[in-house]
Amino acid sequence: MRGRPPGTWRLAWRISQHKPKPLWLGTLLFTIFFCFPVLTGLVVAGALRAIEAQNTGRAIGFAFLLILTELGRIVSIYYGIIWFIRAWELMQGLMRANMLHAQVVSGGKDAGRPVASAGEALSTFRDDPEDVADFVDSWLDVTGGLAFTIIAVVLLGSIDRVATAVIFVPMAVVVLLTKLLDDRIKRYRRLDREATVAFTGQLGDVLSAATTIKLNDAHAPVLAKLGQLAERRRYTGVRDRVLEESLQTTSSGFAEVALGVMLLVSAGSLAAGNLTTADLALFVVLLGYLGFLPRMLGRMLARRKQSVVALDNMRRLVAGQDGANVAAPRHLPIDLADPQPEVIAEVPRIPLEQLRVSGLTVSFPAVDGAERVEVVSGANLVLKRGSFTVITGPVGSGKTTLLRAVLGLAHRATVGGTVAWNGQEVADRGQFFAPPQAAFLPQVPNLISDSLGDNVVLGSADAELDWALELSAVAADVAAMPDGVDTLIGPRGVRLSGGQRQRVATARALARRPELLVLDDLSSALDVETEKLLWQNLSDAGITVLCVSHRLVAFDLADQVLEMEDGRLKPRSSSTDSV
Amino acid sequence: MSAMAASGEHWRALARLVRAEVRTYIRLALVLTVGASLPLAGPLLVRRVVDLAASGSASTADVVGPATAYLVIAIASQFLAVFVTWLATVTAWNTANRLRLELAEHVLSLDLEFHRTHSPGELIQRIDGDITSVSDFLSKIVAKAVSALLLVLGMVVVLTVLNWRLGLGFAVYALIAGWIAGRTRDRAVGETVTEMAAHAKMYGGIEERLTAGEDLRSNRAGPHVMWRFIQDNTEVLAASMRSEKAFIAFWARVQLTLIVGVAIALGGSAWFLQAGAISLGTTLLLVQYALMLRRPLEDLVDDFDVIQKASGAMVRVGELQATRSALADNGSASPPPGALSVECVGLGFHYGDGDPILTKVNLSIPAGRTVGLVGRTGGGKTTLARLVLRLADATEGQLLLGGVPIQDLPLGELRSRVAMIPQEVHLLAGSVRENVTLFDASVSDDRVVDALTRAGLAKLVAGGIHRRLGGDELSLSAGEEQLLSMARIWLRDPDLIVLDEATARIDPKTEERLHDALAELTQGRTALIVAHRLSTLHSVDEIVVIDGGRILEHGNRASLEADPNSEYRRMLDLGLEAQR
Repeated sequence: MRGRPPGTWRLAWRISQHKPKPLWLGTLLFTIFFCFPVLTGLVVAGALRAIEAQNTGRAIGFAFLLILTELGRIVSIYYGIIWFIRAWELMQGLMRANMLHAQVVSGGKDAGRPVASAGEALSTFRDDPEDVADFVDSWLDVTGGLAFTIIAVVLLGSIDRVATAVIFVPMAVVVLLTKLLDDRIKRYRRLDREATVAFTGQLGDVLSAATTIKLNDAHAPVLAKLGQLAERRRYTGVRDRVLEESLQTTSSGFAEVALGVMLLVSAGSLAAGNLTTADLALFVVLLGYLGFLPRMLGRMLARRKQSVVALDNMRRLVAGQDGANVAAPRHLPIDLADPQPEVIAEVPRIPLEQLRVSGLTVSFPAVDGAERVEVVSGANLVLKRGSFTVITGPVGSGKTTLLRAVLGLAHRATVGGTVAWNGQEVADRGQFFAPPQAAFLPQVPNLISDSLGDNVVLGSADAELDWALELSAVAADVAAMPDGVDTLIGPRGVRLSGGQRQRVATARALARRPELLVLDDLSSALDVETEKLLWQNLSDAGITVLCVSHRLVAFDLADQVLEMEDGRLKPRSSSTDSV
Repeated sequence: MSAMAASGEHWRALARLVRAEVRTYIRLALVLTVGASLPLAGPLLVRRVVDLAASGSASTADVVGPATAYLVIAIASQFLAVFVTWLATVTAWNTANRLRLELAEHVLSLDLEFHRTHSPGELIQRIDGDITSVSDFLSKIVAKAVSALLLVLGMVVVLTVLNWRLGLGFAVYALIAGWIAGRTRDRAVGETVTEMAAHAKMYGGIEERLTAGEDLRSNRAGPHVMWRFIQDNTEVLAASMRSEKAFIAFWARVQLTLIVGVAIALGGSAWFLQAGAISLGTTLLLVQYALMLRRPLEDLVDDFDVIQKASGAMVRVGELQATRSALADNGSASPPPGALSVECVGLGFHYGDGDPILTKVNLSIPAGRTVGLVGRTGGGKTTLARLVLRLADATEGQLLLGGVPIQDLPLGELRSRVAMIPQEVHLLAGSVRENVTLFDASVSDDRVVDALTRAGLAKLVAGGIHRRLGGDELSLSAGEEQLLSMARIWLRDPDLIVLDEATARIDPKTEERLHDALAELTQGRTALIVAHRLSTLHSVDEIVVIDGGRILEHGNRASLEADPNSEYRRMLDLGLEAQR
């Protein structure tokens, strides 16, 4: 595609060349497979000639030859498919890996913008890579179809030039039709995808909120809303599929129409006996396959259109604007026996002396006529090594946004001001503020369905699991579990209690002894005794802490307490002590 | 084409799924019958041309007639095929959407234990992905399979008219071919079920990791996540290779069967022709018919993955439909109207084979009282609250609401009379209003505004309640989300309210402002308030202290507060912030 660097063809090509060997072997074997019908046609024609000559023995010989030909065709496609399916899955794996990487990497050039809804993004992970892989799949079909068509046309042309030439009239009609409907295919496909995403997104939300819906006795209206989205999707889906299938049906019906045209044109030669029954049989057999190329060309064009949409969807999840990162090559072991890649990239530890936040301003873009909202205005903050800083303030005053902005996690906002580590400005905060430099515990942490230990260690070689569990006051809970740290905690950690989840997440943040620990409000996870112990332990370990808290126990231990009010950070006034 | 028939189990599963739309499917079958008989005419016309040419006395004009008829029929078939596609797709989508909604409703009705063990990502795959497979099967495959079957029947009829022995031979051959294909198919189905499970696991993992994106980024978990993804992806690769091999073995057998058919047609014709029983034109007709079997079959093979996926999906949909909630809903007793009393008699609870979470809990709360539940996390407070809502059934003992055992209350009545604000906050894609009403259109905007204002979200109301939540447009802090979740309760009129850490993410000042609104809410109702922060409870009537799954203490708040030896007093002394 022109004027859209790099185009769909080029991106799909890069994706296909990531692991080229299975693809090329598949292509070769597919091409051989597609050319076999020429032999089949010649054998059938030979048999008919023998039958016409009333030579039964010879006819039976040809019948056996026919079965042998078929065996050859089967062997070629067996290995062809085995190689191709590997290539097909590897291509999808590459795209999915690139997207997932962009979504979970800590800053750097590969980091993509976080998705707004995991449910919606899931359909991009599920369907879009398959669309692109199917596009590459259609290249194989077109290559094979082209090879067969050239051989067949030469063969048929040597029998009757005019009859062969007229076959191309209906073929041209099909190609023209596909071309004309090109834009419509693309538009229908896009609208269908949008409707699908809206439905699956809502379905995902509803399933996540199953308990909430139950508790609020809200099945009926929620399902009614889902029903509306499903109906919209039915409309777009039927339109999209009927157009695509109709084009395919038309291309595959080409053979009958072509034979009709050919019979009409050759009426003279047939009546005169210039075109024999055996010739006619060869035409019949090969025509059955000649429809293949225009059909596959049409399918390739349609799939290219779908790939444009798919690549555009996937582009949103990765870094950069042009989608090149969807196709970026990466090392993908395909066998579990392959060595596990070095899980934690060596990031050198830079001992914290002083963290200085200057003039930090965070605002969210204006939407729907609403004004541009400034959530944090000119916040200044200095943290010394080993110090303990508490931020307090009412709901919605911007505390969490402030923490996120400092850590480079405020992806949807415009952030101004600077953050300096030991006097040096940090350029890519998302990359810098992760272990061993810093760790963050969100107010509502998310765990994943793995073992409890895996959730804390996250594959890191230098994680101190026992120490972290002890410090975050969850060690006793873990000891009481029959499988200890190997306990599987279920999807999103649902098998743990709310408090346990939060304490396991605290352990996760501590496990690599970060220089700076940033904690959003912990009070729903820890009782006062434990919280007090945690602060003490952190202080003993020499970890610098920046946290949001409303508890006096935190205020008492803090080196400084700051208060957020309407986006402004200022020293806490003593009047709030009484809360 | 019986070769493509699913096994009896699959057909029965499918029949159950489409029962509601039987009429549309009959209409579709009628259109298919016409569509299938048209292509039969083509080879008959070619036969006529060949026999005319063979007679040696034909003129060009004689050939033009059948040739023109051939062309007209070929073009008409195209239009009919498009119509069939449209009809089949519409029909399949109607079925699919009905199934999606039925399944979604069913899954929502399942118990907490089910949702604890199935991630939303996996359920999306099972409700949407599996149904899409069934729908693709209905729209793409069933129509083609039925028209192929009709085509074979038509061929048998035509051949029988020409020569009864040809018809009989063809029928026997078609039956054998169908039997061979059907026998191999089931082996492929098993592999597909494994393949789909591998996919579901991979997508479930991706969904979770996307949800936990911020946690993972800020803890530099990228490389670890990628390694886990590669493990899942490798399983998908291995499973799809196995499934593809099973498929190709099946396909090869079908192809061989077909070509053997053509070989028999050729060899047999040679013999019949020599015996003078058929013409050369009939020979070509036989070859054409045999080759015509291949085309619909190859179409079906093209879509074989659809068949495979659908067979697996049908079984899984059936399984999901058969999953019953562990909570039997067959009660018919109604407690008296008004505030509900809560009574626990020897109540115990444990998950599966896990350790007990609650042990021998005896507790009596009179109607209309406001009670604070306190204690360490993991002590059993949330579990007790869930039992009161009947999100799970106690494993021992009994729980009575308004004097009626909770199992004897119809679930519908229970849900409408008991309301809970849970610890976890879940927002849905939609506007502020839709999130408060949970899409109930019958609630007036005024009531929504009132509920939000009471919940302390006046600022949010000022911006308009029809704004979309989430994404770039309007994102709420964790505390605001909790307030929004809380606002839902003001739209209801329950007799018992359970607040499970409902203010845990809200700072004390904001909570203080909520206090009066909550006091008004609990007026005339029974309320259980689970809280860590003791300041939340400074005006409740009673306090229950729970630890290690047992009740340590239960009494009047004021007297416990005044008693220097009470556990609650000790907690107050520690929880400095509760001092006023």
